[in-house]
Amino acid sequence: MVAGCSSDVLGLRRSVRVAVSWSGQELHAFHDVLDGLGKLDYPVEVVPLGDDISTAFGARSGRRPDLVMLPQPGLVPRERSERNDLQAIPDELANPGRARLWEDLLVYDGKTYGVPFKTAHKSAVWYRPSVFRDVGVEPPRLWSDWLTLNKTLSDAGVRPLSLAAGDGWVLTDFLENVLLGIAPAVYAGLATATDPRPSRRPEFAAALRLLGSMWSAPGTLAGGVKRSLVQQFPDAIVEVFGHRRAAMVLASDFAEPVVRSFAADPDDIGVFTFPALAPGAAAPVVVGGDVMVLPKPTSDDAVDLVRRLSDPTAVDPWIRQGGFLVDGRVSGYSPELTRLAEQLTAPNGLLQFDLSDQLGPVGGINGLWRVLTDFLIRIGDRGSAVVPEAVDAAVNELRGVES
Amino acid sequence: MGLQTNGLSLEIVGREVSGRPVAGKPRRPAGPYLLGLPALLLSSLLLIPIGVTVVAAFRTSSGFGFGNFAVMGDPGALRAVGNSLAWVLVAFALVVVGFFLALLSYRLPGLTSFLQPALVIPFAVSVLVSGATFRLIFDPTPERGTVTAVWTRLFGTSPVWLGPGLFWLVLVSAFGWTWLGYVVSLFRAGLEAIPDDVTRTIAAEGVTGWRRLFALEIPLLRPITGVVTLTLVIAAVRVFDLVLIVVPGSMQGSADVLGLNWWRANANGADSGRTAALGVVLFAIVAAVAVIGVRGLRRRRWAMPVSVVTPDPSLGRPKPSKVVRRFGWIVGFAVSLVWIFPAVVLVATALHSPREAGLHGWWSLSGLGFSSFSAAANIGLFRALLSTVLIAGAATAVLLVIAVPTAYLVAWGGLPQWLGRVVMAMFVVLAVTPVQMYAAPLQDAIGAAGLAGSRIALALVHAAAGLPFAVLLLRSAFASAPPALVSEALLGPSRQSAVLATVQRTYRPALIAVAVLEFALVWNDFIVGFLISGPGTTPLSLVLWGEARQFSASSGTVAAAAVVASVVPAVLMLTFWQKVVRGLTAGSRP
Repeated sequence: MVAGCSSDVLGLRRSVRVAVSWSGQELHAFHDVLDGLGKLDYPVEVVPLGDDISTAFGARSGRRPDLVMLPQPGLVPRERSERNDLQAIPDELANPGRARLWEDLLVYDGKTYGVPFKTAHKSAVWYRPSVFRDVGVEPPRLWSDWLTLNKTLSDAGVRPLSLAAGDGWVLTDFLENVLLGIAPAVYAGLATATDPRPSRRPEFAAALRLLGSMWSAPGTLAGGVKRSLVQQFPDAIVEVFGHRRAAMVLASDFAEPVVRSFAADPDDIGVFTFPALAPGAAAPVVVGGDVMVLPKPTSDDAVDLVRRLSDPTAVDPWIRQGGFLVDGRVSGYSPELTRLAEQLTAPNGLLQFDLSDQLGPVGGINGLWRVLTDFLIRIGDRGSAVVPEAVDAAVNELRGVES
Repeated sequence: MGLQTNGLSLEIVGREVSGRPVAGKPRRPAGPYLLGLPALLLSSLLLIPIGVTVVAAFRTSSGFGFGNFAVMGDPGALRAVGNSLAWVLVAFALVVVGFFLALLSYRLPGLTSFLQPALVIPFAVSVLVSGATFRLIFDPTPERGTVTAVWTRLFGTSPVWLGPGLFWLVLVSAFGWTWLGYVVSLFRAGLEAIPDDVTRTIAAEGVTGWRRLFALEIPLLRPITGVVTLTLVIAAVRVFDLVLIVVPGSMQGSADVLGLNWWRANANGADSGRTAALGVVLFAIVAAVAVIGVRGLRRRRWAMPVSVVTPDPSLGRPKPSKVVRRFGWIVGFAVSLVWIFPAVVLVATALHSPREAGLHGWWSLSGLGFSSFSAAANIGLFRALLSTVLIAGAATAVLLVIAVPTAYLVAWGGLPQWLGRVVMAMFVVLAVTPVQMYAAPLQDAIGAAGLAGSRIALALVHAAAGLPFAVLLLRSAFASAPPALVSEALLGPSRQSAVLATVQRTYRPALIAVAVLEFALVWNDFIVGFLISGPGTTPLSLVLWGEARQFSASSGTVAAAAVVASVVPAVLMLTFWQKVVRGLTAGSRP
């Protein structure tokens, strides 16, 4: 039997294995990008790892991937330094001309350890302009405006917010925007230094209190807390644009294809960016993205694939499908995404990378994700009176994870 | 042979001789021992990694001890143990429900023709498919979820079925849907095998109702109850992929079971000694259940009848009255409808476009078509199908080639009694060993051999994992051979070939059962592929799971992929179900 089969049938042929976190439409789009590369000398196998992408580096991940599309750029320094797991990218591919933000994360000792593939704008709120028009409100420019807006909407019988609490990263994104908005320096400190930990920072608790003031307001969350807990981010979008039971949803730029494919009215789609937390303060912009990294040991084929994928035209098929931003590029997108791209490249913007990625396990599924889920359960729909106690509980819970 | 005079009926029935047909010890040539060699080699694929895990669990930085088991003090691990034990209770409850359903269908024969296919299909499809189906049915939006829609229509509002606490209902429904058919079918086969003369004797003594149940059915079905309980408890303790696909991410912590807890610890790079300790605890629970179950199996209360002449048809079971029969048909029809309903939901969802399936439930009349199937084709479904066919085919072939001679050796090869017991004990333990006990060291070894992610490695691991159960089943079938034939064979000059000829004629059902079950098990497998090859290898269930991560947005694609993945095992099971049941019950007949 062994002799009769080609090595491909047995699955032994050496292909370049690309680990990605995408599924559904994003996965299809990535396959289109690969197809657009033309004929390659080696087969490419895409390995969709979803939320478990960090297991791609584990010693026991079965067959290690040759190329990882790391959705948490914040993990790059940790993988490089603590586990010494990453191969430096050859100089000719370590393309300069990226935003400085990336340099801090990806370059160490003059060597580059990752090439950005996709940039995510995590401070986008998608909404239905028709609802805003009917009630007579405008997208908020300040956090306080947003709270008032929510009140106006719920008084008018419209649930303002659809929250995808089933996906932990949606909750952390929300918190990160608030924290970055009120205390940029603290945010940067937490991202880079391991001490003090988040729970020791009074600004962290302050951000939780602000967040609590929005989530706890009765009638704010579409479907209530329990429904929010079982919603993944596409479900939350369908609630707003498909079933039209809520007015807006915090979702990144990559939500665009989901919004468009489920929208009942294709013209009733709007986007605003996270408002500033106080008058005169800059609006927070939390940035994420997928970075191409090469786990050790690497092969020439994998390096070749990185070269081809970092060509500016390689991602055109995905850009055409929507929901894809490239670092530094502001043209070729839909009007909504163009606005987001412009905010990413605007000078003096308050840009920071996703914090939870850089906190290690504290920011992950058993850390901040769980803490914020419990926080939501304690306060959702119960009014602002329960918030202070819930903030204390959340800080204590996080402290337990940190130690 | 029957006699009837003056309303008195006399009957002569033969009884099988139990125990050794020939007194004394048989000759013991060394040749047959070689038959066990391939099995030993294949089993060492599991035995060595299990040894490594056990050693790792007891080795701490300060020598050997129970230090690593401190991991059980962790609240997360404790909750996982609690949940796993709750699953065991679910398994017991299911056995009871299945027993009464089987009794009902036995006493109302009209039921069987409807009930059988409706109950077999869920058993044939993978756990991921049934989990996905029940997640569709219990979806929290009234537009998509059947139960939510009905509840909202009736009461104005509906609980969030996948929400905290209530997700257990969805999990248990999916588990019950999968396993009830198996339970009922096996109990039915056991009830059918109760000889009519015994039934009539009991009836003549005037024992009816509950007393009859405790005097007749329950004691006589004890061996089958053992098999059924054992299978279900092991399935319950091994619950893994069901939780992954059904429970939304925010509640996975509270639904955690030991197997998942192990996987999370392993994937997050926790200390290998502590994860090994978790594996050993999981194994200890399963092994304890297995030992109790197997002890129950050993007790043979009485011998099977051997029909000497064709029984007089007038002496068969009394036909129930017309009213009872009509009632039986109605009940059977209703139960079948309820049982087939999830399959209808799945197929109907798959026949909607991805957009429509994401927005509305299976009953929606717009967006019908095959676009979800083409979307499923785009995610590499057909490549995965090919991959799965190769793995399942290779695993089944290897298994049969190795299991048949081994089972023959154990049953009739003349092993010394103590060795036979040791071998059987080893196979019983291996049959119930959870994948978590050997996954980590095996993965390292496969990686070191340069075979990581290859189909051949996966097929071999599958064959090794299926071997113990196959040998146990085949041995039971071989051992229950009609003594006349076997003693003839034992006395004859061409001893082995005669026995093998008997094997061919008499044991076909057991062979078919092993082949069909192994093929379907490998086809539907998630956990072995996931833990041994890592996520992202191509077998069907892993592709399905990758697509189901954003569940409702891709429910059309998921449903289409699930339908495609289920066709082969469903057809296989429906075709061979009678033989599979006969094979499964061959060694455990009352």
